[in-house]
Amino acid sequence: MYRTAANRLLHHASLIKISAGSHLRRLPILGTVITSSRFSTTADLQTSPNQTFHPSDSSTSSSSSSTAGDDSRHGSKNPRAEYEEEQARVLQASLRHVIKFGWSEEAMITGAKEVGVSPSIVGSFPRKEAALVEFFMDDCLQRLIHRIDSGEELQQLIPSQRISKLVRVRLEMQAPHISKWPQALSIQAHPMNVPTSFKQRAMLVNEIWHAAGDEASDIDWYVKRTFLGGIYSTTEIYMLTDRSPEFRDTWLFLDDRVKDAFDLKKTIQEATYLAEAVGAGMGSSLQGFVGKVFQR
Amino acid sequence: MALRLLTRNLRNRISPNLCSASLLHSHATSFGFKEVREEEKSQMVGKVFSNVASNYDLMNDFMSAGLHRLWKDRLVSKLSPFPGMKHLDVAGGTGDVAFRILESINSIRRRALQDPINDDLQEETRIYVCDINQNMLNVGKNRALERGLGEDKSLVWVQGDAEALSFEDNSMDGYTIAFGIRNVTHIEKVLTEAYRVLKRGGRFLSLELSHVEIPVFKELYDLYSFSVIPRLGEVVAGDRESYQYLVESIRRFPPQEKFASMIADAGFQKVEYENLVGGVVAIHSGLKI
Repeated sequence: MYRTAANRLLHHASLIKISAGSHLRRLPILGTVITSSRFSTTADLQTSPNQTFHPSDSSTSSSSSSTAGDDSRHGSKNPRAEYEEEQARVLQASLRHVIKFGWSEEAMITGAKEVGVSPSIVGSFPRKEAALVEFFMDDCLQRLIHRIDSGEELQQLIPSQRISKLVRVRLEMQAPHISKWPQALSIQAHPMNVPTSFKQRAMLVNEIWHAAGDEASDIDWYVKRTFLGGIYSTTEIYMLTDRSPEFRDTWLFLDDRVKDAFDLKKTIQEATYLAEAVGAGMGSSLQGFVGKVFQR
Repeated sequence: MALRLLTRNLRNRISPNLCSASLLHSHATSFGFKEVREEEKSQMVGKVFSNVASNYDLMNDFMSAGLHRLWKDRLVSKLSPFPGMKHLDVAGGTGDVAFRILESINSIRRRALQDPINDDLQEETRIYVCDINQNMLNVGKNRALERGLGEDKSLVWVQGDAEALSFEDNSMDGYTIAFGIRNVTHIEKVLTEAYRVLKRGGRFLSLELSHVEIPVFKELYDLYSFSVIPRLGEVVAGDRESYQYLVESIRRFPPQEKFASMIADAGFQKVEYENLVGGVVAIHSGLKI
């Protein structure tokens, strides 16, 4: 939790870009940002010694945070995308085997065989198991967005309940894989995988806040993201050891945390007012005292 | 006739770097810095490798200060072998890459994770080592015996030409060519053949000495190549000519980007390359979809 919070504060630059684009033209562009991020998290291969050659493209695809360049991504399918589609199909098929084999090469090899492609394709994923986990995270985010766009029940709820509901919806998507989820978390925590997993979680948190109706654009923005990131991560971890039917205890835990966070916000506001009032009072009495001292 | 001589003279005057692979389409090809007829090239290469076969591994160790082992390890880890794989290693005469792949598949760590289904799969693994030169293959077979892999039916030694493989279409999961593509007469044919024999989802990987662009390092490398290596060849293997050929053929081989575009032209997708040691060696990879 502390790691994600600290990371978020450090990497706010990329978040600003995402949110800026999203604030201006929300629904249509966010869809493209998400799909391009899905492709870019799987195509996000290179470290500096590697280069990729694209026969028909003049520029290689960079990270998902550039919303301005999305026009180049629209339009006709270029041959570059074909192998990515194939890779996506393999990953989709591999997800079904995760329960048996875990988030591992084994699952991906089995997935590839199922799709009818040589398992050698597994070698073409830059960080293999991480590619599978990242694909799953992107997939869940897409499904969450669909749920948000299609469901109206959110309008009737107050913000804290909206957040609670959204986090719950998202975590329920992980429920089928819960037995192997600790492995997925450890894969996401590898230093090599941290940038991508951090980016995905940041997008998720951003998305939930948008759906909950957030309009802030000042320092409050970071605070909100940090809080929600913390709530999400702690609930996720709580869920790992929850044996209650249908994760009832997890949802209670979640509701408590959300309530605490909103209470904390009010508490902070009140504390700020108090500090101001005290400061004002102290200030005037201090002035009087100093004045008397110097009059001597 | 006179015209041909004239163009040939002109071409010799132009620096070797400007000669791209497309020029090699003509009836002359390069043998190091010499221009030779195509029919002769494979004979001359054959002679080189017959001469060096017995000392090949030793010379590799000397020239690369043992680094070639790490490069081959990197190649195999990029390949990501799996049990039941059908793999073709071309120009892999002495078997270095093939042994590594086999060991990776049979490794104890993998065994620990396996269930009974995979044991059957392991039986189906086939690594074909193809080389045009029988001497190199013989050296490889002897090394296999030394390692205790003599009876292993996963290893199959085949003599053949990379430009006209005897394998069926869509039969291989992986194709590697380590330090071999520099010596072929027609690079495009080899790439087309590679594309043909690979299955859908199969990967092509080539490990090859390539071009260094980093300023100071480039000069040092050139110095090392042209002064040290032929001398080393003379002293260790008693064959200066072959090692002179080696060093020159590296310079004549297309640079990384050009080679990558040739691979893409053959039909491969997701063509990438990774420079090792600043470009002294490059691993190119492509995916067949």
